[in-house]
Amino acid sequence: MQAGIGTEHDLLIQQKKKNVNKKRLDTWLLLLPTLGIFIFFFLLPLFFLFITSFKSFDASTGVGNEWTLQNYIKFMSDPFYLGVVWRTVKIALLTTLITIAISYPVAFQISRSKGRARNYLTLLVLSPLLISMVIRCYGWVILLSNNGVVNNTLLKLGWIDQPLTLLYTELSVVIGMVHVLFPYMVLSIMGSLEKIDPSVIRASQNLGASSFRTFFSILLPLTLPGVFAGSVMVFSLSVSSFVTPAILGGPQVKVMSYLTYEQVAVMLNWPYGGAIGFLLILIATITIIAYSKILARSEKGVAIQ
Amino acid sequence: MSRRLPKYFFNFVCLMVYIFLLAPIVVVLLSSLTTTEYIVFPPEGLTLRWYTELIEHPEFMQSFTLSIIVAFGTAIIATAIGTLASLAVVRRQFKGKTAIVQLVGSPLLIPSVVFGVALLQFYSWIGLAASPIALILGHIILTVPFVMRLVVASLVGFDRSIEQAALNLGAGPMKVFFQITLPIIKSGVIAGAIFAFITSFDDLTVALFIVSTDVVTLPVRIYTYMQYQYDPIITSVSSIMILFTVVLMLVIERVLGVGKVFSSKN
Repeated sequence: MQAGIGTEHDLLIQQKKKNVNKKRLDTWLLLLPTLGIFIFFFLLPLFFLFITSFKSFDASTGVGNEWTLQNYIKFMSDPFYLGVVWRTVKIALLTTLITIAISYPVAFQISRSKGRARNYLTLLVLSPLLISMVIRCYGWVILLSNNGVVNNTLLKLGWIDQPLTLLYTELSVVIGMVHVLFPYMVLSIMGSLEKIDPSVIRASQNLGASSFRTFFSILLPLTLPGVFAGSVMVFSLSVSSFVTPAILGGPQVKVMSYLTYEQVAVMLNWPYGGAIGFLLILIATITIIAYSKILARSEKGVAIQ
Repeated sequence: MSRRLPKYFFNFVCLMVYIFLLAPIVVVLLSSLTTTEYIVFPPEGLTLRWYTELIEHPEFMQSFTLSIIVAFGTAIIATAIGTLASLAVVRRQFKGKTAIVQLVGSPLLIPSVVFGVALLQFYSWIGLAASPIALILGHIILTVPFVMRLVVASLVGFDRSIEQAALNLGAGPMKVFFQITLPIIKSGVIAGAIFAFITSFDDLTVALFIVSTDVVTLPVRIYTYMQYQYDPIITSVSSIMILFTVVLMLVIERVLGVGKVFSSKN
């Protein structure tokens, strides 16, 4: 009898081991297609480009065989290129700040509305996401060009005598970028607004605080994590975005992504384009790490309160 | 009165933001109706001439078809493999899980210009020429992170006792997956597929590097056309694209409900 139980027990253990092995195999089978494509068409290409960025380049013979740090040194020692880095960061910062300023009221309005109105407003805010970025930027070209809507209106009103140069400036890039990235910020702020208990706001009002005071001492601190999270997303997307600066800034307002494109597609200087690309990745990564540190701290702050 | 004033001001600010959001889209739609040879807003006169003129530019239609094929292929493959990977990530414990999750999420952090450049170099080395397959492979990398995020969200909190019950009743794992698991996580999977479709259909950055003279997606076609010409043809093409998206969204709304699609996103 006891021996019988023993063998049954052993069998069970064996069965379990088999199941575990089978499960392990299953797991890798589930992951295999995604992992395979990511290794072959994402990691490997980036790795090879990274290697290329340390190769020499000659305009007449192309990519050389020598190893060099020249591409990185050239970029970081030239004031023109450093100016491009500064412009890229400046545009991203301005975009983030303006996006916060205009997203907050909209997120607040949506989070307070109910039923149909809420659905329509959400759809309205998200709808630009669904329309091609190229087309939206093109719409801004029509609006901002020298004989575009904005200039014509201002001329007719008599506010200006001659058309302003709006297109192909840092301003037009920022406007386009705010338009493209706005929904991400609204969604993020809405998320943290919805977590706030409405009675907190009522309490503050009942205690006689003005709406101004309620906003700055209650609402804003409680939604800071959402604002930060949205900022990380908007900042990093805007630092690395290509379409908007290419269409609304062009060669006149060069940012790092455009520089990368230009070096590769026009100059055929792969090593230099690669080097700029990896510096761009570095900037995006540093900001994300810095932001997430701040985010972690601000969340702690809220938790303590 | 003084309490009302901030409220009016607040609503006014919101209204201005909504106008800002819609302005470029409305401008594109309306300027496509102009009778002039150049783009002007407000349009002068009303005509559908620029839409009929498109017939003489079959390259736009070709690009449109190519974009649809690529977006469809991307959506199907990215959703299928992303769903499988999500199942492994949510339900299984294994070594290197965090690393894999980070790897699959990283295309969101890598600027797509850099990815485009890297992919072009790689393709030219392995001798893969511009083709729908080459484009789809690139777009899969861009879209799998979205798919996985949405599917993982719909898998968390999934009551597995239903699956267990089906298995105990003798259903095979395949049957359980298609008849129990998939229907329950349906909204996440479909939302992922829609995101993948739209992202692929809209992609300019990566496609710009991969395309060749006869394999050109619609965003690339529009981008290169407007670098040399500034006529209302481009606004009529864009308007058709906008209308296409609107119709697509209406169909999805009818079938699924937009609210459902977007609510599963959180």
